[in-house]
Amino acid sequence: MKRSKTTSPRPQGRAQGRALALLSLPVFAFLVIPTAIVVPVALNDSRYITFPPEGVSLAAVQGFFEDHAWTTALSASLQAAAIAVVLGVLLGATAAIGLHGRKFPGQPAVVGLILAPMIVPTVVLALAFYQFFISVGMVGSIIPIGLAHAVIATPYVYLTTRASLAGLNPALVRSAQSLGAGALSILRHVYLPVILPGLVSGALFAFSVSIDETVMSLFMQSPSATTLPVKMFTDIQFNLTPKIAVSSAVLVTVATVGLLLQVIYVLRRRSTARMLPLAV
Amino acid sequence: MTTSVISADTTPGAATAARGSIELRQVRKTYGDVVAVDELDLVVQPGEFVTLLGPSGSGKTTTMMMVAGFEEHTSGSVLIDGKPVDALPPRERNLGVVFQNYALFPHMNARENVEFALRMRKIPRAERRERAEAALERVGLGGLGGRRPRQLSGGQQQRVALARSLVFNPAALLLDEPMAALDKRLREHMQEEIKTLQKSLGISVLFVTHDQDEAMAMSDRIVVMKDGRIVQSGPPEEVYAHPLTDWVASFLGDTNLVPCTVLERHGSEAVVDLGGLGIGRVQDRGVVGERYAVSIRPEHLKFRPGAPEENGGTGTMVSSTNLGATIRHRITAGGHELQLRELSSESTGRSGAAGEVHVGWDAANAQLLVLEG
Repeated sequence: MKRSKTTSPRPQGRAQGRALALLSLPVFAFLVIPTAIVVPVALNDSRYITFPPEGVSLAAVQGFFEDHAWTTALSASLQAAAIAVVLGVLLGATAAIGLHGRKFPGQPAVVGLILAPMIVPTVVLALAFYQFFISVGMVGSIIPIGLAHAVIATPYVYLTTRASLAGLNPALVRSAQSLGAGALSILRHVYLPVILPGLVSGALFAFSVSIDETVMSLFMQSPSATTLPVKMFTDIQFNLTPKIAVSSAVLVTVATVGLLLQVIYVLRRRSTARMLPLAV
Repeated sequence: MTTSVISADTTPGAATAARGSIELRQVRKTYGDVVAVDELDLVVQPGEFVTLLGPSGSGKTTTMMMVAGFEEHTSGSVLIDGKPVDALPPRERNLGVVFQNYALFPHMNARENVEFALRMRKIPRAERRERAEAALERVGLGGLGGRRPRQLSGGQQQRVALARSLVFNPAALLLDEPMAALDKRLREHMQEEIKTLQKSLGISVLFVTHDQDEAMAMSDRIVVMKDGRIVQSGPPEEVYAHPLTDWVASFLGDTNLVPCTVLERHGSEAVVDLGGLGIGRVQDRGVVGERYAVSIRPEHLKFRPGAPEENGGTGTMVSSTNLGATIRHRITAGGHELQLRELSSESTGRSGAAGEVHVGWDAANAQLLVLEG
């Protein structure tokens, strides 16, 4: 009978863990408080933005959802995000699959091109998109904003999909081929199950990138295409109402829900994997 | 089983046109300047179990991948059932392939894995389920169809892979080092099982391995490859007993190689100068004055009571290792390190003894081999 010695270092590990938690706490607070502060401000019982709040009321929240200008902006943001997610997932995922396991001259350049929107200053992109969409006569609707958002969302989907493809056994593709599978069947039965987690988190990234994007949306705004951040930015200059705080809280809530969904998804996948009894 | 396939018709090409044959004609594969496979000619007859045996980098896996269609050959032609398949993608070649780590689809259970090929062939659900269950039954996995690959042991996974590659009645089976991931005992068991299955189905198999024991145990014919070329091809016993070169002799089993020069020839017998080991006689061809190597398998090297005049010499014991059934002795004699293997049950108890020993071999057990390097 072998007796393992792994029990002795555990108290020390626990103490280390505690110290780490203690150290992490202020950092965590520093990161979260500025975001969380909008919630009490939004629930403030006041006609102006004040802190600390003077009383709790849902008046501002109600006002936000009854104000046509604000709900239109929210709807515009969601439309742009929808375009960005759908296009970003299609482009990012197909690029990742297409480039997976392939080496050809100029491949780094292709990858660089896909990732470029993450690096190029947004204001430069905004100007370029603005000029482009003006010249093709597309400004004035939410579509060009959605398309521009898709461009900056694509690299995120590409990266998350590429990361999940790293776990793909290349022999799976070959075995599917030898069993008679064509390209579409391989996509569905081999690639999709492997990249699904990457696609989900990529889509969430794409969504939050689009919802949050201000500079490009500002350049391409029009009365019929004003996203939530743009509306907040223009209002804050001459119309300082708690509705701005409410819209911030809405954005924070949307982002948090998205993140939670992802966490739940990951945990569920893990637990189903663990629930399956392993073979001896 | 195979006899019915190879009909009485003996015209050339008739045998290769039969179902299950694989033929490579002058197949060559280059990557840039590197020649991976060079002008390879190979025929797997219907029902035959042919093993490509060689060290890594010998081109054996590349050869198999070209048959399967995953690698494109630079020149030459591959024929299956007598028909060229060079232009066909892997999925139209109708070959069952078992990969090194089985490559089972992790998100499908065993039965769904086996059904996959039938599903791709648009076979109705009820029929494919029935055929998949039957295939699983045949490899001894009846009732385990609902398990995911990670819930199965290595041996079970391999059986699923076998069932999956056989369920659609492929023309032939390609096995790429399928036993590499299994432990020794299970490996030997699976070797027998695959061999039995292959015989009962009468299916042609092209098998790739670097494991010489596996090749010996399973093959109808071994094709020894080195540097992209076939060095020797024949039934396992023949390749083992009569290797063509010193390299084949040392690759297929252990052997003692003693460099020598042919001094003279008497009919079918050659007298050779073994350097420090004196004079030897071998029943073999050979050109007078040329350099060769004499190969003596460790089991053919024997202790002698006195110093032999020829075919042997006197040396000192370096080490003795008891391997259970056999004992391996290392002896230096005449400037050569020799290996002698004897059955433990027949051991004369020299194991511990250091000092002078006499060893020798029978002329019939020595082979004169071409030096290859």
